[in-house]
Amino acid sequence: MNLGFVVGVFGVLILSHAAYSTIQYRGLLKIMEEEFSRPPMNVIVELIIGLALCMWAALTFPGKFLSIHPDSDENRAVSLPDNSEFMIFNHRGRLFPPQIDMKF
Amino acid sequence: MVTKTEETELNQLEIQVENGGGGAWEYLCLVRKLKLRRSEKVLKHGSSILNDPRKRSALGPDEWTRNEQVAIAAMDCQCLDVAQKCIKVLQKKFPGSKRVGRLEALLLEAKKLWGEAEEAYSSLLEDNPLDQAIHKRRVAISKALGKPSIAIELLNKYLELFMADHDAWRELAELYLSLQMYKQAAFCYEELILSQPIVPLYHLAYADVLYTIGGIENLISARKYYAATIDLTGGKNTRALLGICLCASAIAQLSKGRNKEDKDATAAPELHSLAAAAVEKEYKQKVPAKLQLISSVLRSLKI
Repeated sequence: MNLGFVVGVFGVLILSHAAYSTIQYRGLLKIMEEEFSRPPMNVIVELIIGLALCMWAALTFPGKFLSIHPDSDENRAVSLPDNSEFMIFNHRGRLFPPQIDMKF
Repeated sequence: MVTKTEETELNQLEIQVENGGGGAWEYLCLVRKLKLRRSEKVLKHGSSILNDPRKRSALGPDEWTRNEQVAIAAMDCQCLDVAQKCIKVLQKKFPGSKRVGRLEALLLEAKKLWGEAEEAYSSLLEDNPLDQAIHKRRVAISKALGKPSIAIELLNKYLELFMADHDAWRELAELYLSLQMYKQAAFCYEELILSQPIVPLYHLAYADVLYTIGGIENLISARKYYAATIDLTGGKNTRALLGICLCASAIAQLSKGRNKEDKDATAAPELHSLAAAAVEKEYKQKVPAKLQLISSVLRSLKI
């Protein structure tokens, strides 16, 4: 968990640094009166690295994923609960009580 | 609902506890969580925990829930003195409690004193007219007395108040089935499917009822619901696969006298052959000794 968290923080920092560089680059272009078509190459590389790090952290940090298939073993209903609120004691089993002694 | 992983866990715990390994408390907790009816085992292991003063003090505040669980299991196994002792312990700890009052009335039911039990429940109802459990016990009393029509009446009145209670709808469906009132049972299962469409067992039960009522439209609907069950369980429910094979043979028999276009519309030959193949594959995997039997049955069904 810790490694995923640290990597996630690192990825977010890289993305914010890329954002800051792009804003500075735009300021520079305004001074030089040129058009802003796309951020410089190094910022693009930084963005891709930040994306990869954040995705990896997002998948490892939350821990175990739950299954969503209705037919997987964790979600598949094999039997319904026996209605014990409507249970009656009038069955044949009452003729064979097990031998239990209670000492309290 | 019991899922497959929970079922395997339960079976493992059961084997472990039966063979003397520890884990009785986890077993009791799991049985209570899944709302299963394993009265003999719960009674045996629960009473062994409650008898031992060390284990009993180790339970802490859980002791009272275990007492209640063991009391109900004892009533189911007809060990009424055990149940009486558990209830006395609970009464000492929680005097004047409604939950303990319900347990006492349940004990009267187990002793077959139906009149006193009915009186106890009506007095409890006066204090609390909207108590769901007490209404259900009154239905259970009429069921135990062998008067299913009165039970159905009471249950219908209960369901007018509490329409979202799935267990009650299921119980009503079973009562109708026991009286062979299949259309009403089908209605109850329809209600269940509407409220919980993801549970495949309701689709399966509805398909069974439709197949029992018979007639070509009902058989076609039953086939659709068996197919829905297979879809929801990923093909792991053998009963639905067999249901499709049976529907196929019944539809083929009933549509013998009709024209060719009608027959083509109702037949679904790929579905039938696929279902039969799936059944044979499962038998080969799990019970290879009976493969011969099921192959001959499927062959006779196709004719």
